[in-house]
Amino acid sequence: MLDVALTAAGNVFTFQSLLFLTIGMLIGLVVGVVPGMGGTTALAVFGPMTVGLDPYSALSLAGGLMGAVSFGGSVTSILINLPGGAPNAATCLDGYPLAQQGKAGLALGASASASSVGGVIGVFTLLLVIPISKKIVLAFGPSEFFLLATLGLVTIAACAPGRMLRAMIVGGIGLLFAFIGFDNVNGGTRFTFGIEHLWEGIPLAPAMIGLFAFPEMIELSAKGGSIAKDKGQVGLTGTLDGVWASFKYWKTLLRGSLIGTLVGAIPGVGGTVAAFLAYFSTVQASKNPESFGKGNIEGVIAPEAANNAKDGGNLIPTLAFGIPGTAEMAVLLGVLVLHGMEPGPTMILHHEAEIYGLILTLTLSSILASVIGLMMVRPLAMITRLDAHILVPSVIAISFVGAYANNSLPGDIVLAFVFGVIGYLLIRFDYPRLPLVIALVLGELAERSFAQAMMISGGSWSIFVTRPISALLFALIVMALTYPMIRTLLQRRHSVEEVS
Amino acid sequence: MNKLLAAFITCAGMVIAPVAMAADFPAKNIQFVIPVSPGGGFDTYVRAVAPILERHLPQSVNIVPTNIPAAGGARGAAQVYRAKPDGYTIGIFNIPGMLVPQIRGDSDLQYDLKKMTWLGSFGQDGYGVGVPTASPYKTVADLKALGRPVKFTASGPSSTAYSATMIATDMLGIKREIISGYKGSNDYVLAVIRGDGDAVIGPLPVMEKFVESGELRIIGTFEEKSSVPGAQNAVEMGQPDLSKLSVGRLVAGPPDLPPEVAKTLSESLMAAMQDPAMATWSKESGIAVEPGDAASAKGILEGQFNFYERYSKYLGPAN
Repeated sequence: MLDVALTAAGNVFTFQSLLFLTIGMLIGLVVGVVPGMGGTTALAVFGPMTVGLDPYSALSLAGGLMGAVSFGGSVTSILINLPGGAPNAATCLDGYPLAQQGKAGLALGASASASSVGGVIGVFTLLLVIPISKKIVLAFGPSEFFLLATLGLVTIAACAPGRMLRAMIVGGIGLLFAFIGFDNVNGGTRFTFGIEHLWEGIPLAPAMIGLFAFPEMIELSAKGGSIAKDKGQVGLTGTLDGVWASFKYWKTLLRGSLIGTLVGAIPGVGGTVAAFLAYFSTVQASKNPESFGKGNIEGVIAPEAANNAKDGGNLIPTLAFGIPGTAEMAVLLGVLVLHGMEPGPTMILHHEAEIYGLILTLTLSSILASVIGLMMVRPLAMITRLDAHILVPSVIAISFVGAYANNSLPGDIVLAFVFGVIGYLLIRFDYPRLPLVIALVLGELAERSFAQAMMISGGSWSIFVTRPISALLFALIVMALTYPMIRTLLQRRHSVEEVS
Repeated sequence: MNKLLAAFITCAGMVIAPVAMAADFPAKNIQFVIPVSPGGGFDTYVRAVAPILERHLPQSVNIVPTNIPAAGGARGAAQVYRAKPDGYTIGIFNIPGMLVPQIRGDSDLQYDLKKMTWLGSFGQDGYGVGVPTASPYKTVADLKALGRPVKFTASGPSSTAYSATMIATDMLGIKREIISGYKGSNDYVLAVIRGDGDAVIGPLPVMEKFVESGELRIIGTFEEKSSVPGAQNAVEMGQPDLSKLSVGRLVAGPPDLPPEVAKTLSESLMAAMQDPAMATWSKESGIAVEPGDAASAKGILEGQFNFYERYSKYLGPAN
């Protein structure tokens, strides 16, 4: 393995490969920043352009791009409460409050270092588990998928502190949206109101753009002023403190990275769940959970570490069986095929050196993208000081372009607008918006896996507890739901004892 | 007077234009519609052939692969069907994937495959029956003799994989139960390896990769002559008609494409598919290309229409 890794390194550390790595990284940062455009779109656009390049340059471009997207996406989450992609949505929870307090530099610094370390941990975990990657992938079947999706849905209860009932109402509405489109288990389409555009379900990117960008901009233009409430206070000096914060809260960093890798390894679950689970578990483990949602730096570290670690994890099913874990991986496989690599269980046997090259570029990219990103922090943080009459039209225009760019379907612009109205109504009546995203991402997976698990077990519910991993996940769900309650009870008893 | 002359020349130009256009074809970029998301098999074929096809066209223009992944491919097919018949919009079609909705009578289907101008074929994949390597079943007869319904994994009931499983099990007389809803061929083959079901009926190239990596055994192929050693063929299983079950990748343009334009496109596509560069790509990637001309594409389409019309009761609920 070592000689293969060295061959790969020799091919990656050439002028041409490093040049393409840098180009990929810059593209990744830019598309990460533009809402709605993520790694998937960028790879789909730029991947085919690599025809004619040698495979290593193409892989460097792809690896650079993928490693940089998530930090790019966190920038807008923090600065304007507009996630660059669905996996960055969790970063908004604490990142945006920090920006409002004038601590954008701190949050961006933490996001950069957490992304880097997360990315590296993800890749190292991948290298460690490559020999057993097939076993890992085969251990997760429909019953495990259902329970994982449920675990993700459980985080809805925690994503709006103090407004649990409202979060659950919005989550329910999100589930209704998630069931629109093809019914994969029974066939046919449902709830499409005869609109052909809805056959494939509600596409995530336009929905998110609508939910997050428009309401924020309407609010801002109504209020006037800028995002940072006190212009004089925008702390650009906090960046280095932010970088160190990730290491200060190393437990949070490690937890986020491992959750990201693990969730990434399970096909079809993806970065959004990874980020939310990381956030949720950090809140659970914290001594003062009530500080989250108001600008706790740990709330930025955990999801960003998970978000970048998931790329390493995502490669596990891709390399083991050629099963892309996410849409982004599916497009990456397409790029690999263009360069004569056959995706599938035999890919790692036939193209070992190229695969290690890709892993190496992913590592380099997650570190370098953060360094370059940090250099851009100062001008970026200025966005929060921009006046509404400049910021609002720019963001709205970029958002519409982003909604359209994803699939070049005009219907997506209409969808973005509809979700913009929904998002504004939610803000107006003080309902959280994130539960809608979580439900939209997980609803279909939960439903389909549940139906499949039932078909496999012949209708017996015991399948959810008799398989070892299912039983573990089931226990985690029970714990996640009861732990806050038990903790409150214990605290109450404690204070009662103190009084008496 | 000058104005009159100009108007006359414009009118004359409009009359002559179609003829001139056919001779100059192609004079601008050609859009190659892929009715699925980037990254899949159909997408791969188009993106691999596009740069080679550019070299074989009489005039140097770009081939622009365009993914239109809406409405299960129906939107992309409709876009090609409704395009101006000038040869600047062509598309790749999954046959029977795009044909089944037409036979089933899906609502608002805005294309008619029988009217389109067929230009060529990248080839067809056959189907077969696979079981996990550790499975005790060695032949299709073992599955038949199981005495209980055999669990097959497949994608959703509106999919061709599901229809293929229904049709094949019916022809072979196997009692079946289908675990449906998997997201694609890789996914449902992996599902059977994981133990979600007993056996799987799927495209041979997908299953062969899992055979090579040691996870799957193919116990029967729906071919006239089995390409897998040790696996029974369709004739040995007593159902030669099973060889009609396949996935074809056909290329077509809108209805009423001018014959010269269709000829240019068809011949350039054929030359591109036979180009050594395509052969190298095919060998490296392990993705087979069996070049077929316009007539062979039309033949495949007609054969598939006849077959699936006969088995229309298995085609799942209409969309």
